Amino acid sequence: MLSIFKRRNADEKPEKPAAAKASPHEREAERTLGELRERRRKRFRILACIDGTDEALENVRFAARLGASDECDIILLYVRPIDHGLASGGLQVRVARQNMLDWGIELPGVRDLRKAVEVLKEEGISPDEWPISSAHTDVWGDPLGDNKIEYQQEESGRSVVLKLKTAPDPASGILDQYELGPYNLIIVGEPSRWRGEFKSVFDAGVVQKVTMLAPCSVLVVRKGSLSKSGFFICTDGTARSLNTVKRAAVLAHTVDSPITLYSAARELKGRAAARENVENAKAILERMGIEVDRTRVGIGEPAEQIIRHGSGHQVIVVSDEGRSRFERIFKGSVAYAVVRGARTSVLNVR
Amino acid sequence: MRQGYQHLKVLRTQVNLYYFWEKRWFFIALAVGAVLLSLPQPEGLSRAGMIMLSMSAVVTILFITQPVPLPAVALLIIIGQVLLVGVDSTQVAKNLMTDSVLFIMGSLMLAVAVVSQKLDKRIAWFIVQFTGTRTFNVCFGISAVCGLLASFIGEHTVAAMMLPVGITLISLTSQNPARIKNLAALILFSIVFGCTTAGIGTPSGGARNAIMIGYWQEFFYNPAVRNTDRYLVDYATWMLYGYPLFLAQLLFVTPILYFTFRPERKDLARAIAKLRMQIQMDGPMTPDNWLTIVLFGLIMLGWITLSQDIGMGTVALIGTTAFLVTGLVRWEDINSGVNWGVVLLYAAAISLGVEMKVTGAAEWVANSVLDIFAPLGLSHGLGLLAGVALLTAGVANTMAPGAAVAVLGPIVLKMAAASGEDPLVVGFITAFASATAYLAVASSPASTIVFSSGYLKIGDFLKVGWRMAITSLTLLLLLSHFLWPHFSDWR
Repeated sequence: MLSIFKRRNADEKPEKPAAAKASPHEREAERTLGELRERRRKRFRILACIDGTDEALENVRFAARLGASDECDIILLYVRPIDHGLASGGLQVRVARQNMLDWGIELPGVRDLRKAVEVLKEEGISPDEWPISSAHTDVWGDPLGDNKIEYQQEESGRSVVLKLKTAPDPASGILDQYELGPYNLIIVGEPSRWRGEFKSVFDAGVVQKVTMLAPCSVLVVRKGSLSKSGFFICTDGTARSLNTVKRAAVLAHTVDSPITLYSAARELKGRAAARENVENAKAILERMGIEVDRTRVGIGEPAEQIIRHGSGHQVIVVSDEGRSRFERIFKGSVAYAVVRGARTSVLNVR
Repeated sequence: MRQGYQHLKVLRTQVNLYYFWEKRWFFIALAVGAVLLSLPQPEGLSRAGMIMLSMSAVVTILFITQPVPLPAVALLIIIGQVLLVGVDSTQVAKNLMTDSVLFIMGSLMLAVAVVSQKLDKRIAWFIVQFTGTRTFNVCFGISAVCGLLASFIGEHTVAAMMLPVGITLISLTSQNPARIKNLAALILFSIVFGCTTAGIGTPSGGARNAIMIGYWQEFFYNPAVRNTDRYLVDYATWMLYGYPLFLAQLLFVTPILYFTFRPERKDLARAIAKLRMQIQMDGPMTPDNWLTIVLFGLIMLGWITLSQDIGMGTVALIGTTAFLVTGLVRWEDINSGVNWGVVLLYAAAISLGVEMKVTGAAEWVANSVLDIFAPLGLSHGLGLLAGVALLTAGVANTMAPGAAVAVLGPIVLKMAAASGEDPLVVGFITAFASATAYLAVASSPASTIVFSSGYLKIGDFLKVGWRMAITSLTLLLLLSHFLWPHFSDWR
């Protein structure tokens, strides 16, 4: 019983009792699953989350642009919360849904995923011309369960997946989906409001929860940022941020977006160090064959400076400090301050 | 020190702390319960009453935050009564199954049976026959018909039946719902508010009504005392109080919605022509359709004429059995369409309310609340009714109306008794006010079902909800002040 408290890694399976040896079928299934995960690790996988709003289609558009190359897979995810019987007075919502289906009306997630595919087509990705496969899994005792339609291009192996997922709440659904991945990037839309660090301990919204807990990088898309251009990549000279610079620069280079390197010093005397940070980052990128459009240095509170100078770009890239939520309450976090306050899309790299 | 910190780090890698985080509200609720139990016993409250009060606080937190499945909360209530209060388990089991619970169970089974008969297209046909094609008239027709039906067969049933009608009208008006957002909201909210305003019309309109009827009987009826018969509220008496309020609210629903969501199309001629064509393709009424109507007519008649003698729950169970025997519905469909955990939850909540009364906890809380209300002028008369209405509406916005009435019912009825107000009036105010929780999606079954279509946003509920809530609460207080006293004299 205490095994529920035992921490496991995403790819770690629970230990089997000695008596229960895996059957040949189980071994075969595990081998296939292992191969699938290995294959996925070699690709750049983007999870674009939609919620039925028009704003969420910007996430799909972003996914299409960042995942334009053949090495990228795009997974479009719609999470449908499981029905709480108390809210519907004891009548299962599935009764109403079945009635809708009988009238020939599409269920909300299906309709929204269809719209998302139309957006992909507008961006030049036409998955409905590729071979298709589908799968259904019963989850949470809900007959609608998880549904997946996968379009896979034969020559390149590139996939576009439409996933209609059932989960207790959208944030858990998105994070659960990561476990089924893995993914390199999760794309979510800007929430209507951000809660403060302390308040978010008790009640974080979907986007805030995903941003805090996702094991991979998260891009928070803001309306209108697609009309801007350029990656505004921030560095503070640490190994972690230089790693972020390299990864973000590769992404920017792939989508042919100009790169601006930026570093902020809290005081005037730190200006030289900040300048050195961006020059070092520039040198690293040049060794990788990636051209840097410009470098900039700011003086002042880093988050404020980044928001001020970076909001004219398509994406601000920040490096996650890896702080726990309690550490963030007391020490703060530049990355989260930028994610919350920026007026353009922000990529929080992990 | 350093070594201790390292041990902590190692422990963190081994233990899944997220489990505790995920269930934090469960542990917070337990902690709140433990703290309340450890406080010194207030004057006038027994030890058992204090335990019941602590349990109620824990249960309320669990209802609102839902860190564990709701049926688990029901089980905790049962376990708590036996282990903490020391109530005999057979007595707890008896408290669980009352006529109110049988009625809730029966009406949910009837809801599945009725929805599966596909009478929705016939109803849609009936609506468009007399409303014409003007958007305002169509929406009023939808609200009125949804309301009339929901007052007898429950708001969840009608919402589930009429949702496809609303969506079909929207999709037949425009292929792109984004272009007719206001019209979509207007049509769908006509269903929502038609159903929610009508849920108070009769006892069978919603679980909260049956719960209140059960509480009146449990708290005030004494077979040995002749004039306590008035607390056995029958179907017709409930309608006498509930129906005028429903009809008064109905007059305001469409104008408020129309004012809030100015529709992009003032006329739905094309959509209605297409809808008529779709309905005509279904052909004439089948014998099963007629049988359903006849059976439901008999059930309604049974509720009106027999419920005083055999109980509303028994009538609902007879109806369900008739649907099963005639083969109109399969047991498998009923079994998968009803959330049995909710039935268990209502049963447990009612038994908690009964124990609150028995242990004196309800009376103690009632007196404490009256002490708070007194300086505000809310301890008697219209002030008390307004206070109770606002309190109920507020609580119902955080949990389902049935749960709000189950939790607050014992307290407000004792408040009525302590302040010299008529418990019937205060009970009606509580049951009716719980239906005015329009601000949150999950605060009424009709809202939840219609929201599941994906056409409405949470913000839409706030946008229109406050207008509807103010209107409904005002009408409720006006009727209670000017109309209901005449009923009391008459009865």
